[in-house]
Amino acid sequence: MKVSSYQLYWLVTISSIVTTSYLPIHLAVEQARQDSWISMLLGGLTMLFVTWVILRVCKQHEDKTLVTFTKELLGTVLGKILVLVYFLLWFRQMTMIAKGTVDFQNLVMLHNTPMVFILLCMLALVVYAVYKGGITAVSRCAEIIGPILVLMFFVQLFLNPEDMNVKRILPVYADTGWLAILTGAFNSYSYLTDPTIALMLFFFAENKRTASRAVIWGTMTTIVWGVLATIVLMFVTGPQIASQLVVPVYSLTKYISILNFIQNIDAFYIPLWLLAAFIKLSLCLFILSYGLSEWTGFRNWKLIAWIVTSVWFVFYIYSNHNIRLSFTLKSMYLNGVLYPFVYLVIPLILWMIGTIKQRSKA
Amino acid sequence: MRRFFQMACLSFILLSTSAGCTDFVEPNQLAFVIGTGIDDAGKDMLEISHQIALPSQLSGSSKGGSSGDSESFIVISAKGKNVFEANERVQRKLSRRLMTSHRTLIAISQEYIEHNNTNKLFDKLNRDPANNQRDNIVLVKGSAKDFMKIKHPLEQLSSIASNKELQINGMNNYSIRQFIIEHASEGARVLVPLLQIENNDGKGNEKGNLVQFAGHAVLNNELKIKGILDDNDGLEAIWMLGKGTFQGLTIPWKNGNGTLSFRLTHLERRIHSVNGNDPKQILLTVKAQAYLLDNTTPLDMSDVDNMIELKKYLDEKIQTDLQDTLNKVQQWGPDIFGIGEYLHRKHPYWWKSQRDDWDENFKKINVSVKADIQLRSTGTSAGQVE
Repeated sequence: MKVSSYQLYWLVTISSIVTTSYLPIHLAVEQARQDSWISMLLGGLTMLFVTWVILRVCKQHEDKTLVTFTKELLGTVLGKILVLVYFLLWFRQMTMIAKGTVDFQNLVMLHNTPMVFILLCMLALVVYAVYKGGITAVSRCAEIIGPILVLMFFVQLFLNPEDMNVKRILPVYADTGWLAILTGAFNSYSYLTDPTIALMLFFFAENKRTASRAVIWGTMTTIVWGVLATIVLMFVTGPQIASQLVVPVYSLTKYISILNFIQNIDAFYIPLWLLAAFIKLSLCLFILSYGLSEWTGFRNWKLIAWIVTSVWFVFYIYSNHNIRLSFTLKSMYLNGVLYPFVYLVIPLILWMIGTIKQRSKA
Repeated sequence: MRRFFQMACLSFILLSTSAGCTDFVEPNQLAFVIGTGIDDAGKDMLEISHQIALPSQLSGSSKGGSSGDSESFIVISAKGKNVFEANERVQRKLSRRLMTSHRTLIAISQEYIEHNNTNKLFDKLNRDPANNQRDNIVLVKGSAKDFMKIKHPLEQLSSIASNKELQINGMNNYSIRQFIIEHASEGARVLVPLLQIENNDGKGNEKGNLVQFAGHAVLNNELKIKGILDDNDGLEAIWMLGKGTFQGLTIPWKNGNGTLSFRLTHLERRIHSVNGNDPKQILLTVKAQAYLLDNTTPLDMSDVDNMIELKKYLDEKIQTDLQDTLNKVQQWGPDIFGIGEYLHRKHPYWWKSQRDDWDENFKKINVSVKADIQLRSTGTSAGQVE
């Protein structure tokens, strides 16, 4: 199984933009009001730095996945325990995005269709793609969906020219202050991009040199889009309304009305978002099951993919009945401990140990 | 072969179940709400009246036949504690699912807005994704239910008629969404058109009623009416708050010597500080392009001196008229012009001490109006034809 750099770019872009369009903007606007674009920018730059560090680590271990090289660097026991944290992160992302897709379809279109049915349809599709083709199938889908998705996402931001009022973004800084801006960045940074998937994907990349460039470009595309979307949201609705919108990008598409003729763009936006969610979910499912198969030493990762999906299904149903478990976006433990740990602390440690080992060899 | 058969069966099952048909409502099971009226029903209750189009009647009359005796709409109303409850009660009376996505107008009765907390009407519009927020919002004198029921001689539905009336008169910025955005911003209050039913008794038979502008209501932060501008002042206020597109203007010439009428287009306004650091001195400049279309004065418009004099006179006249309107609104308190928003952006730290009681503080701001009209054309006739 090999992934070309072009495919890698789309994989990273899609899996990042799908969360960016869904979660962080609201979390940033809630705190930083009209300065939320600064929060998004700060969060984005942080994540860009994280991506860079992670790519350093990947480059030191080009022919191994996360599971193998942490074991080598930190020893079997510690390595295995640390990798578990990443498994947990990916699993969380899977449940989060799955929840987003299912709940949203229930809210907007299918009022009476049982939630379980929508969930099963989606899980079946995801697990089928992973089972049949693994990462090859997923990346080929990404190659097709990606350009359409990104084009649509960028274009739709500019379909509201009549309602834009550039002055709504003013005054900068005076109303909020650095504390609010930083809180906004702190709440949203972790949902902006998804650098950890590179730890697994890099192993599958055909050309390692161009691959790291692809990952960086993918991350940058997302950050640019995220900041732009926040600014446009301010232009169109102003900070007071924006801070109340839970899914602002969706509301933005609903606002579009060009000459009273081009309306209801959400009919394009939702299906594209669902396709993107499919890519993200199958990518996470693949790296999780492949990682688990290396972690356990059980070679048949396709079987593991099935097992993971069943666990995912059960967990989803359970978490759906537990409100606190299903709304953890602003949890202090996640934002303050887990995310910095997996995004920054572990990669930095791995990078340091890797460098020391290389030096001592030479 | 067997494998192919299995796959075919599976895809067929998936195809028939996953298309979401379980939740699909056919168009002939929908009731298209075109307009909604909201009335006060006492004791914290509200009454909702939905004007629902009857598709069969609509298509019938467009074929060329006269609208006949059959109505092209029905009005169903019900009371409830909030919008959703009243909606549900309307739904209980109907054989078709209410569909509000194509609504064009929401009419709130003046009585309702005076006695209730109007804010609570808007939560549902924001929260429920089944609203498009593109429908216009107006106030009506008298009962909104009656307003929904009137039979318009030109249009098939009175709400579409009012909507078109707003559009054709250059007032196309009164959608619900704009209302909510303006209302939410700290330094601006809302101006809403106030409509009334005009008894069209000239025609002899009771064929129908027209909808007429009764003025514009100035709302404060709690969405209470602080004053009502008449139609003329309302147009001037619209110009000064930056929503104007075009309007007509008739002014008397000096010494009662005839009148002049203009079409004003490209209406603009700008807010400046008179001197950079004093937030309490504000200059509001209005601009427009004027076309002279009616002239009953002795002035010969092919004479350049006359044109210069006319432009000067026009500026002065508009300046004083607009200043009067502005002073009137300023006495009432609500800052419909968005001067607060300007100050918020220009002096953000000063603004923090002002915003909580802006309706009162606005009265202390010294706003002067300056007009700069460009006389584009004096029409195709030089003097009057004797």
